[in-house]
Amino acid sequence: MKGVRSNKMEHLAPVIEVGGIKFDLAGIFMIVLTSLVVFILARLAVRNLSVDNPGKLQNFLEWVVEFVQGIIGQAMDYKKGRAYLGLGLTLILYIFVSNMLGLPFGIVTEVHDGHIPTFFGQPLVVEGAHEHVAFSWWKSPTADASMTMALALIVIILSHVQGLRQNTKHYLQHYTRNPNPLFLPIHLIELVSKPLTLGLRLFGNIFAGEVMIGVILGMGWIGIPAMLLWQGFSIFVGAIQSFVFVMLTMVYISQAVVHEEDH
Amino acid sequence: MTLNLANFFIQLIAFAILFWLLQRYAFKPLFGVMEKRRQMVLEQMESAQKNRDEANQYIEEQRQALQQARKEAYDIIEQAKSTGSKQADDILKAARSETERLKEEAARDIENEKNKAVAALKAQVSGLSVLIASKIIEKQVDEQTQQQLIDQYLQEVGNKS
Repeated sequence: MKGVRSNKMEHLAPVIEVGGIKFDLAGIFMIVLTSLVVFILARLAVRNLSVDNPGKLQNFLEWVVEFVQGIIGQAMDYKKGRAYLGLGLTLILYIFVSNMLGLPFGIVTEVHDGHIPTFFGQPLVVEGAHEHVAFSWWKSPTADASMTMALALIVIILSHVQGLRQNTKHYLQHYTRNPNPLFLPIHLIELVSKPLTLGLRLFGNIFAGEVMIGVILGMGWIGIPAMLLWQGFSIFVGAIQSFVFVMLTMVYISQAVVHEEDH
Repeated sequence: MTLNLANFFIQLIAFAILFWLLQRYAFKPLFGVMEKRRQMVLEQMESAQKNRDEANQYIEEQRQALQQARKEAYDIIEQAKSTGSKQADDILKAARSETERLKEEAARDIENEKNKAVAALKAQVSGLSVLIASKIIEKQVDEQTQQQLIDQYLQEVGNKS
């Protein structure tokens, strides 16, 4: 994301270009940070595993596990869906943590007199003309469509692969015979729209939240109550979106994998 | 909104790595522990059920034992009562026959003593009467008559014997 370009006080994404490929440094930094936070959290939770006297973090992680088990159980037979427990857990933890990470603060570096900073010998790319350039280094990884689409594509490809592997005949017939061949175009549209909606829903929600935070910040001191409200609402939205993402993941997988008799 | 392809692939790889790491170092041990706890709960429930069954069995056994003991105690008391009354009867009977015997003995003794006393009295009376008689006679009979009397008596005695 390169921000909204009409505003004078706009925040750009710090992008460098290496060999013709553009790297969004803030995005990479936040991906690594979020992954680290999730991994450290999980490691802390399983540090002193105990069968009969679990610690607080272990209890929390077990609660998450049971929560995801519940989601899977709603979408399909749990015996079949148990294989996706790890995926669902990783997704919900990663998305939730990244949704939360973007909320509390931002790191912005401002550039004066046209001295564009360089990274790994590469200058940050500034497209267009700006009187005043500032780079935003802190955002949710999920506030970037390229990252959410990656997650969505993992899920969608996984669901199709699993459908082909475990449910070959019915999975293929589903396109041509459900309920008759005339519906094939609709199925093809669905094929494309599923990853788009899955990825863009998450991106849109979180990105909108962060844009809103930026707008409220622009209001100055008056914005503090609105900020409190919006932060609270963003926590809620972030939690809901991580839940929805995992829920839809399991629904899509079950649609592809589970063969329903009464078609 | 532009898609940054590099970040797209970095996210793919990062997520794959994170998934692998979590699966290997966090979820596997956690699932193991959760499974273990599930087993433990199952076992404990089973053993609780078993204990309860055993307890019920013990209670039943105890109840039967108590019943048995009560019955035995009742029997013992009954037996004691009957032997007690029998003994009392025996003792009474023995006492009664003893008194009977004692009474008879006493009566017999009394009879004996009476006979003895009568005999002794007879002897003494005859002695005394002889004595008195001799005293009276002593004064009136001279030597000659006396000799006659003695002879007469002797003769009488001789005739009698």
